[in-house]
Amino acid sequence: MSVLIDIVLAILAVYLALQSLMAPRLSQSVFLFFAFGLALALTWIRLGAVDVGIAEAAIAAGFLGVLLIDALRDFSPAVSEKQEGADGTSADRSTKDTKSRLLPSLALGLGLGLFLLIAVEAIWHTPKGGGLTALSEAMLAESGVEHPVTAVLLNYRGYDTWLEIGVILMGLLAIFVAGGVEVYRKPRVLVRDPLLRQVILFFTPVLFLFGAFLLYYGKSGPGGAFQAAVLWGATGILLHLGGWPVFAVIPRWLRQLLLTLGLGFFLLLGFAFMAGGAALFEYPPAQAGVLILIVEALAALSIATALAAIFAYFNQMKDEPNEIESTT
Amino acid sequence: MTDLPTSPLPALLVGLPILMATLSLFFRTRGKALVGLVGCLLTAGLSFIAFAEVTRRGTLIHILGGWDPPLGILLRMDPLAAVFIGMTAAVGAFISLYAWWYFRAQESTGGAFPLFWPLWLFLWAGLNGLFLSNDLFNLFVTIEVIGISAVALAVLSGKVAALFAGLRYLLAAIAGSMAYLFGVALLYGSTGTLDIGLLGQALEPGPATTFALLVITLGLMIKTASFPFHFWLPPAHSSALAPVSALLSALVVKGTFYILLRLWTEVFGVSLTFAAGQLIGLAGAAAVIWGSWQAFMQTNLKLVVAHSSVAQLGYLLMIFPLLVLAPGVTAGSADWLSSAWTAGVYQVMAHAFAKSSFFLSAGIIIMALGHDRIESLRDLATRMPMTVMAMGLAGVSLIGLPPSGGFMAKWMLLKGIFLSGQWWWAPAVLAGSMLAAGYVFRILRLAFAPAAEKQTWRPVPVALQLVALLLALASFLIVFPADYLVQFLESSKIFGSGVETIVEGGGDGNY
Repeated sequence: MSVLIDIVLAILAVYLALQSLMAPRLSQSVFLFFAFGLALALTWIRLGAVDVGIAEAAIAAGFLGVLLIDALRDFSPAVSEKQEGADGTSADRSTKDTKSRLLPSLALGLGLGLFLLIAVEAIWHTPKGGGLTALSEAMLAESGVEHPVTAVLLNYRGYDTWLEIGVILMGLLAIFVAGGVEVYRKPRVLVRDPLLRQVILFFTPVLFLFGAFLLYYGKSGPGGAFQAAVLWGATGILLHLGGWPVFAVIPRWLRQLLLTLGLGFFLLLGFAFMAGGAALFEYPPAQAGVLILIVEALAALSIATALAAIFAYFNQMKDEPNEIESTT
Repeated sequence: MTDLPTSPLPALLVGLPILMATLSLFFRTRGKALVGLVGCLLTAGLSFIAFAEVTRRGTLIHILGGWDPPLGILLRMDPLAAVFIGMTAAVGAFISLYAWWYFRAQESTGGAFPLFWPLWLFLWAGLNGLFLSNDLFNLFVTIEVIGISAVALAVLSGKVAALFAGLRYLLAAIAGSMAYLFGVALLYGSTGTLDIGLLGQALEPGPATTFALLVITLGLMIKTASFPFHFWLPPAHSSALAPVSALLSALVVKGTFYILLRLWTEVFGVSLTFAAGQLIGLAGAAAVIWGSWQAFMQTNLKLVVAHSSVAQLGYLLMIFPLLVLAPGVTAGSADWLSSAWTAGVYQVMAHAFAKSSFFLSAGIIIMALGHDRIESLRDLATRMPMTVMAMGLAGVSLIGLPPSGGFMAKWMLLKGIFLSGQWWWAPAVLAGSMLAAGYVFRILRLAFAPAAEKQTWRPVPVALQLVALLLALASFLIVFPADYLVQFLESSKIFGSGVETIVEGGGDGNY
């Protein structure tokens, strides 16, 4: 039975991905991409990686989906005009196009098929290495946490996680840098629906608390900084949509502090222990649990701020064109 | 490997630039540039201290988090890493100084681009982290750091052409990273370790290892802009701002080449065959000829320089067929190995110095003229003799004329080619140099030609011209410590026993 579920999931994921790529309308593409993200999240859960499943659902389907829908709203007038105009006239041209594209796409398809076959063959023949599961569980007592995934992310390989937090901050900077372009920019009408505002006000503390729970629960089960960050980030986005532009209200230095706190505190803590003779990111086993929780909480705060800032930036960009300097 | 001397320096080499980058975010335009420049100079100073420390104490390690591999990550600064870090520091410090005056000169016209500084410091931390890394997954994280900051820097100008080129760069970089990650997953699945040292011992030949070798090599070749995956490089490197073009061409593409070199010599020994070496060499030779020819055909200075990068990166791939030995050859009788190594390291350094100088000169010309059409370079020699001098010297190093670093690299490559009896690579090296002479002299001839039309030359700060000239000079000066440098490198594990691994695998191959 479980094999059947796995096969259906595998086929579904590939089918949804293909459909999302080939959908004739952008809106269909976006919604199929949603479904694809959820199918992937289910796949992760089937593989036993609940943490990744939560992150996949929250980031790929949730956060990316919000950004895509936001982008869709700006694209739609221009695109639908083009499509309506083109639908009638380009019938002959499209048949011609399909003919001339048939050979390259056939070659590409064959090549991809061959590649997949070799890949499956290689994975099939992969000798079982056992991995590091046993070792990482044996060392749990010294790591300060009870969940092996959290131990790997925040202690054994904390260096990788620290760099990844840096990658998120850099992604935000990259968006600021690329955001200077003036194509597709149009004014945005803010929603001032009293019901919506009340619902958002109601959900804000609930989302915040649930994020805090996920953060703390990461100590002993699936959860942690990244999952909590997505929920907290969602809180920021909801507030922004409801007409409370959080990022315009707080002073610039606080904004920068929130963004850099995760990366900066992680590093400074490491430097502090390094000054005492330890290695970078080495924590004494007795205090490791508390220190990891603080590092995670601050990292979650920074990632949440970055996610919400990306969304706020896109909205703000459309309202006031020259906001780059004050945002950065 | 954990019994080597430990030092906090490797950790500081990654931590310091990120700390300064984070700090700079709190300041506005002027302050950001100042904190950024200070951060760059501190990082460069720290790199030189670390380099000196490695020459004194040998390979240094830092066990992050106090967890020994395979559970934790180990930073390893051996002589090869030290040379790459030292080179990054030297080139990076010059480019930082140039950037300081370059953005200052354009501040009044909205060309201050303060975000350059945090992004460049992140990029520097990523490069240092890559050179120090001894862990396949950590290498993936560092190439992500490098990739994202490099793409952001490439689109810094905000011009539409740069954004299009940057998007293409991003897609190529992601495709390369994913291919690499797929290979890493296969290797972890089959051996249960990510540590390069342990993988080299645990890896066994088989279809999984061969396939991992294939996808990892392909992924890294895409990111190194090797032929035929070079399509993204010329538009991305030529449309960026001058200091960014110099960083991308001189340093960023060398990072993934470094991983390729490490993995081929330290991990994949068991799966390499003579044919694999020949194949990657062929890609290199094709890049040399195609890139040089394309450079010769361009009408814009920056496009010439960018296509020339494709060609010069090709030389790097041509050392692989020499390192993978034919069946029946042992390391003891293969007396060309040290020539091939020296050629590779010198090509990396000479190209880094010469190419960054060339791109910085192109930036000076754009600042003076407002564009970079080669036809308008007439009369340059009387207007800006220092810049013509810099372009001439850098060009000589790119062609490979004595006594430049480029000459040293190409001479050692030819020596290795003839000693190993693989004479069929020689025509590509010679043709590449001839074509390089073609595109360099085409620029220089116009620079000395009398002015045909009146055009306005805006003033350019002398400091910019001086930095470009010093970088060009450096591509000659690196020849002097050659003896010492080769000796230093031969004390590295990768130069000694790393080659042995290849020999063992190269002998019988797999299936």
